[in-house]
Amino acid sequence: MKPVRSDFWHSDGHRLSGLSTLFLLAPFFAVIAFVFIYPIVQLLVISVTEPHPTLDNYARVVGNPVYARVLARTLWTATLVTALSVILGFPVAYYMSRARGAVAALVAVCVILPLWSSVLVRTAAWSILFQRNGLINSALMGLGLTSQPFKLLYTQSAVVIAMTHVLLPFMILPIYGALRSIPNDYTRAAAVLGATRWRTFIEVILPLSLPGVVSGSLLVFLTALGFFITPALLGSPQEMMVSTLVSQQIREVLDWPFAAALVGVLTLFVTLLAVIFSKTLRFDRLMGAAS
Amino acid sequence: MSKNMWKLTAAACAMTVVFSATLPAAAQKLEDQVVIATTGGLMGNTLAKHFYEPFNKAKNVEVVPVAIEVPDQWARAKAMQRTGKIEFDIVTATGPDLVGRADMLEKIDCAKLPNVQKFGVSDACQPYGVARTTGGMLITYNTEAFKEKAPKNWADFWDVKQFPGPRGLPDTGDSDWWVPAAALLADGVKADQLFPLDLNRAYKKLDQIRPNVSVWWKTGDQVQQIMRSREVVMAMSYSGRALAVVKEGVPAALSWDQAIRDTGYMAILKGAPDVNAAMAYLDFFYANSEAHVPFMRAVNYATASKSAIELMKPEERNLYATSPENYEKLVKPDFAWIGENRNALRERWMAWLTR
Repeated sequence: MKPVRSDFWHSDGHRLSGLSTLFLLAPFFAVIAFVFIYPIVQLLVISVTEPHPTLDNYARVVGNPVYARVLARTLWTATLVTALSVILGFPVAYYMSRARGAVAALVAVCVILPLWSSVLVRTAAWSILFQRNGLINSALMGLGLTSQPFKLLYTQSAVVIAMTHVLLPFMILPIYGALRSIPNDYTRAAAVLGATRWRTFIEVILPLSLPGVVSGSLLVFLTALGFFITPALLGSPQEMMVSTLVSQQIREVLDWPFAAALVGVLTLFVTLLAVIFSKTLRFDRLMGAAS
Repeated sequence: MSKNMWKLTAAACAMTVVFSATLPAAAQKLEDQVVIATTGGLMGNTLAKHFYEPFNKAKNVEVVPVAIEVPDQWARAKAMQRTGKIEFDIVTATGPDLVGRADMLEKIDCAKLPNVQKFGVSDACQPYGVARTTGGMLITYNTEAFKEKAPKNWADFWDVKQFPGPRGLPDTGDSDWWVPAAALLADGVKADQLFPLDLNRAYKKLDQIRPNVSVWWKTGDQVQQIMRSREVVMAMSYSGRALAVVKEGVPAALSWDQAIRDTGYMAILKGAPDVNAAMAYLDFFYANSEAHVPFMRAVNYATASKSAIELMKPEERNLYATSPENYEKLVKPDFAWIGENRNALRERWMAWLTR
């Protein structure tokens, strides 16, 4: 495959001057600063200054077993969803990268199309399937597999299954990108050297696709941490995640400083994770896959 | 400012206070609008038809309705207080809100609301709110699931041997005292000895029912939906929502036995820009008893108008919380105690629920 080169970045081997880079980035950062950084900073300020300058709000997040439990559960759910997405997503991505023509287009449409419908709709669809008298239970009972309907809705499994469904494309696409950029020559070379297809996969394809897996996992995990609608609609209070807790503190309890502290802790987690990942695996490789 | 100016200003202020106190409410200048925050949909539309439009005609004050869920309304009100720009005049408050959130509300002088005094029930006017609609947190059940014997009270709700099947309980703003109160009633505590709530006893009883609760519902729409789809056979529900389900033709019924009184109040937000118009609206709400009858029929909740309930036939009256027959059966909560113990109630509830 011939590497694509953009003249814009490589014009005569000169880099863009610092000033023009800044100029190009300014609009983007202006928006981010105004709609994201400013509110977040204000929220974080509230979390340490109200009701009086204090770290009590953070002490409550960590000290009260209820909130610690919700945080732990959020991390656990996000981990489960990420693991499931890798297991389900990798074969699809692999197949996509190998398929050609109409089949490839069909698979791509199947992966991307759900992204165009809202999360709310997809979650509501799951709640209809999972109902006590819903499709799954009626089918099981109709087949005589069970006489009593199973409790499917409002469980941890329901939340994990639906979140995996919603987030799966974010796993498939980066892995697909990584797999696509592995030159076919490598597979052929391995075959020439006498490797079986399985060994080629384990020793060549898999290591080279890892950057895709990592960036997919990061995307899925971080998005899952902040998920709101799906756990709220398909889970019971035992599945409560941090974002639901934040909304409850803001809307029902009106304890904004404490809600802000929760956001602070979540932001800390996300930032730490992002930093760790970008240190261990270079970001340009994550985003652009193997170059 | 000179000393004389101070004296003058003080005198002027005193005069204003004296005059405004002696003048009848009607003579006070009304603002040309009043902003009312309450739930939209059926409630908002019916209020507009029977109260907002007539009020506009009678007093030449435009009602600006804001359709908003109650928790969001409080979050917005809190935000308005933080920024110092109050946009709502009348908000919707629960009984405990009138105590627990009194610092966000304007004190109401009941003497200035003659119609509420005249046509409302005795406790319709509270220091921080005027009763709008009264219902109860009651038991609603599927009549096909319990053909021979129907569940009546909270002891029956807890009795999974006689009444098997999944249950629904609320997890919304006020469940931190509704649900423990129901547990204590199920455990045999007399309704008049319920408060202060014995939380240890309540949560011990709640542990018993927990495996049988399959839905913790968050909104009125959701409780209707789980009854309709038969996700549960029995639920604690807002009486109005239970009534709506029955009217839809779903095989369901409701029991007023030991229903926990749930009154929605109209309260004036502290610093509201149109206080006089808001007061005039609160009084106007009770002025015409005839408007209350179609209003109650449409929203499935009773107002605190004692003359309106008398206009209805006994069998229709029985659908509402304030009918003489049902009102006796209602459990009257101690709002002051709940308001004061709000944090403890909520923390206990959260800890138990997320366990």
